[in-house]
Amino acid sequence: MPKLSLMFEGKTVKEVPLGNRPITIGRSPDNDIPVDNLAVSNHHARIYYEGARLVVEDLDSLNGTFVNDLRVERATLHDGDSIHVGKHYIKVDASHDAPVPYDMGRKAAAPAINETMVLDTKVRRDMLQQAAAMGERTQFASGRIKVPTIVVLSGSTASKEYVLTNKLTTIGKSSMATVRLTGWFKPQMAAQISQRDDGYYIGPGDKTPTVNGTPIPGPFRLNDGDLIEVCSVRMNFIFRD
Amino acid sequence: MRILGGGVTDVGRVRSNNEDCFRLVQPLNLFVLSDGMGGEAHGEIASALAVETVVKHCMEAETNPAAPLYGNPPADLSKHAKRLVSAVHLANRNIFKSAEEHPEQGGMGATLAAMWIDGNVLSVAHVGDSRAYLLRNGMLQQLTSDHSLVAEQVRRGIISANEAEQSDMQSVLLRALGTQPQVEVDSEEQELFQRDVLLLCSDGLTRMVTDPEIAGTLQAETDPQKASERLIAIANENGGADNISVIVVRLENESKGWFSWLRPGGRKHAGTNGSAGGH
Repeated sequence: MPKLSLMFEGKTVKEVPLGNRPITIGRSPDNDIPVDNLAVSNHHARIYYEGARLVVEDLDSLNGTFVNDLRVERATLHDGDSIHVGKHYIKVDASHDAPVPYDMGRKAAAPAINETMVLDTKVRRDMLQQAAAMGERTQFASGRIKVPTIVVLSGSTASKEYVLTNKLTTIGKSSMATVRLTGWFKPQMAAQISQRDDGYYIGPGDKTPTVNGTPIPGPFRLNDGDLIEVCSVRMNFIFRD
Repeated sequence: MRILGGGVTDVGRVRSNNEDCFRLVQPLNLFVLSDGMGGEAHGEIASALAVETVVKHCMEAETNPAAPLYGNPPADLSKHAKRLVSAVHLANRNIFKSAEEHPEQGGMGATLAAMWIDGNVLSVAHVGDSRAYLLRNGMLQQLTSDHSLVAEQVRRGIISANEAEQSDMQSVLLRALGTQPQVEVDSEEQELFQRDVLLLCSDGLTRMVTDPEIAGTLQAETDPQKASERLIAIANENGGADNISVIVVRLENESKGWFSWLRPGGRKHAGTNGSAGGH
C-alpha cells in the first residue's frame, strides 16, 4: 500500500497509508498529518488520488508547499518524491501502487480483449488522464508541446520555415508540396516525411535525401536537430517549443 | 492518370460472421471501407450503414453540389474533402439514430476509412482503426492515425510501437461511428503521383500482416484485385484472427504519347479492370 512518511531531521515521525480519502497536512491538530511548526499554515496542503495519479495541492498556505524543492500549487506526485512543508519533509512511497489501469496493456495478466470496444467518454477521459500523468515527466523534461519544424538553411525554397502538420509532408517543386523547392530541374516530389505514432520518418521521393551526410534509401526516423539535404537544399529538422 | 481499383473482404479463420463492409465507386473514384462492432449481427448493420451513407451522400453531392454539409468541415479543405467529412458525420448520425430507434442494436458502432480521388488530389477521412496507406517509391506510409488507446499511448510516449503491437488492449478504440451523437472526423489531402499505390484496410489485415509484407505484396502484384486477394491470403496464413478487408488502388500513367511504353509500367497493365462490388 502506498504511504506518506513525515520526516523531521532525518527521522520518520509519522507514517500514513494512502487510501481513497484525501490526506490533509497542517498545523491544526485535525489534520491527518499534523505538523507543529509556525511556518506551517493551519490547513497547509492535501494529498489525494485523482484517478490513478497522486496529487498534492497547496491550500493557499503562507509559506508554500515544495515538491523536490520546487514550489507548487498543485502537482502530480511520483514514488520517491519529497514534499517540503516548513522544516518537515514528507516522503512519498508509491512503489506498491498497483491499481493503475493504464498499465493493463503492458502486462499479460489482463484478459485479452478480442471484441472491439469503444471507451465511453468518462472511462476514456480517466484513462487518458492517467496516461497523461504517466507521460507527464517526459513532457515536462522536453518542454511541453513540441512542434516539428523544418528550417531551411540554404537553397531555393518558397519559404524559410515549415511546420509539419500533416501525416505526410512532401519536399518538391509541386505546387502542393509542403516544402516547396524553386528553381529549374527540381523534381516534383524530391523526398517525403511521414508522421508515425512514434515520430517523423524521412524517405526518398525522386531523389535520395541525406541525413547528417548519410544517404537515406528507406524510412529513417528523424531526431531533433538532424540536418537534411536534398536537391542542394539544406534543412534542419527541429522540435520547436 | 488512370485509376485502377480492387477490393476483397473475408471473414478470416476465427470469426463466424463478417462485420466488415467496403465499396468501390469507380466512376467517382470513391473508396470506402468500414469495420463494424456490436453483438449479434449488429456490427454488420453498422458497417453497412456507414458505407452506404458515405457513398450515397457523396454521389448525391455530384448531382447537387449545394446539398447541405454536416459537421462543419474545415474551411481550408477542398470541395471533395469537405463532402467526404460531411458524409462521415452523417454516417455517425445515422448509426446512432438507428441504435436509438432499435434498442437491441445498442452499443453497435463502426470504424470508417474513405478515400476520394479528384484529379491528382486525394482526400482521406477516417474514424477508428481502419487505415489508409500510400506506397510511394517503395515506402509504405500510413495516412491515418488510429483512434485507439494503444496508438494514443505511443503518441504520448507511454509505450513503444513494439509494445503496442504486443498489447492486449489493441481493440480498445477511442473513437468510432455511432456510439456518440457527435464524432470528430480526421481528414487530410495529399497530392498523388503516377505509380502511387493506395490501400484501405481493416485492422484484420494490419494486425496479421507486417508493413514490409504489405509493401512487398503491393510492389510484387500490380493488379489491384490480385494484390487484395494476396493480402487477404497472407492475413489468413498468419492466423486470420479477425475479419479482413482490403481495397487497393493504383495510379497509372495515361498511355498516350509516342514514348509512353518506354516508361516503367507504361504498358504493362493496359487491360486490367479491377472493379469489384462490395461485400
